[in-house]
Amino acid sequence: MLLSAHGMGLDAPPGWEVRISRRAAAGEEGDSRTHPVLHAATVALPVVRGDFGGGVTGLLSATDLFVSLFEQGPGAVGTALFSDRGRPRPVAADFSPNRLQRTIPGQSGGQWFFTEGGRAFSLYVVLGSHARRVELVNRLTGVLSTLDLTPGDAS
Amino acid sequence: MTALVVGLTVAVALLGVLVAGLLRSHAEILRALHELGAGREDTTPGSAGGPVDLPFEVGRGVLSAAGGGAGVTGTAAPDVVGTTPSGDTVQVSVTAGGGATLVAFLSSGCLTCHGFWERFAASTPELPPATRLVVVTQGPERESASAVQQLAGSDLLVVMSTATWEAYEVPGSPYFVLVDAATGRVAGEGSATGWDQVQRLVGEAAGDLALARTSHAPHDHSRGHSHDRDAGDGPHREARADRELLAAGIAPGHPSLLLTADEVVDLDRRDGSPQPGGHAGAGAPGRD
Repeated sequence: MLLSAHGMGLDAPPGWEVRISRRAAAGEEGDSRTHPVLHAATVALPVVRGDFGGGVTGLLSATDLFVSLFEQGPGAVGTALFSDRGRPRPVAADFSPNRLQRTIPGQSGGQWFFTEGGRAFSLYVVLGSHARRVELVNRLTGVLSTLDLTPGDAS
Repeated sequence: MTALVVGLTVAVALLGVLVAGLLRSHAEILRALHELGAGREDTTPGSAGGPVDLPFEVGRGVLSAAGGGAGVTGTAAPDVVGTTPSGDTVQVSVTAGGGATLVAFLSSGCLTCHGFWERFAASTPELPPATRLVVVTQGPERESASAVQQLAGSDLLVVMSTATWEAYEVPGSPYFVLVDAATGRVAGEGSATGWDQVQRLVGEAAGDLALARTSHAPHDHSRGHSHDRDAGDGPHREARADRELLAAGIAPGHPSLLLTADEVVDLDRRDGSPQPGGHAGAGAPGRD
């Protein structure tokens, strides 16, 4: 079923857990600015979790995935970090255990920064097993293909 | 005078017909309300002083391929899709995590539900391992999101979704549905007035499911266990019986297996000794 909010949409298959919310960026608690965040995983998403999978990645088994799509503020649009236009197409070679925000043995991660429709995003993905990254990336590709991002300041 | 009496009689008769019609209409309204489930909650008169001891109606049991049981028990369980009281859009997978999901259908208005809200807000509810709780209220078009948020606290997963109520055919609140993640099907459902009832029966349902999986699992003799002792019902007991019969020289097709109990006793008497496969003491010398 297609879930859509804050200019983000995802049609994840059954068995995936998805949440689209607005959250204060890390270190900005008390700040009135919030950022749309999309979390998707093949495990139950805890009510309390970090933007980049804190509280979730420890639950991943070798066959699980975690996806975080975080929209940066308008100030990030046009910066060098977000200069890539259009959403990324992750492949198995993009993932590495040393790209994890929080290192967990056996897991693998990847992060991309991009701009689409005048909005700056970071995509962070954790695979439950680096050894099974080809299989897991195939599943990831299927889900990311359903990602719908509304251009402009839709949030 | 006669005209007055006739007139009064006609008036009384008309009033009688009117009263009979009203009574019949009233009875039909009561019957319709009963069929709609009015009075399920403790909103019935005289119940405001405390919880009502309603019977627990969880449809327990092991899943069957053909379904069975009341309501949606045995059917495929849909994911919970809706919004949180704080406005997040969510899809909660009832099969994620590989354990079980207890879906609690509550509302902000029902008195019985308040006991559950208070319990959930006070502390994390105790459930069997790998079982999580998801509270589902009706959608924001029927429930006040702020009222639900106030009741829920911060650590409770609450989804507002009228579609989920309809998908699970929820007759009223409070109502509980236990989903087995391994099969993706509803393992049990029902209403309750207290968390202790729910907790106990969820525990039993989880035990039933675990037992069903164990008994249907392939019987593995390579794990170091032996059949030297009776392990109760099931494959161990059957294996023990087969082993003892074979040790006594009784294989499939043995003539003694075709005898009735009386014929076995007669055979024992003639031989004067216990026969393999017969009652151990029935044919023993001096005991008949």
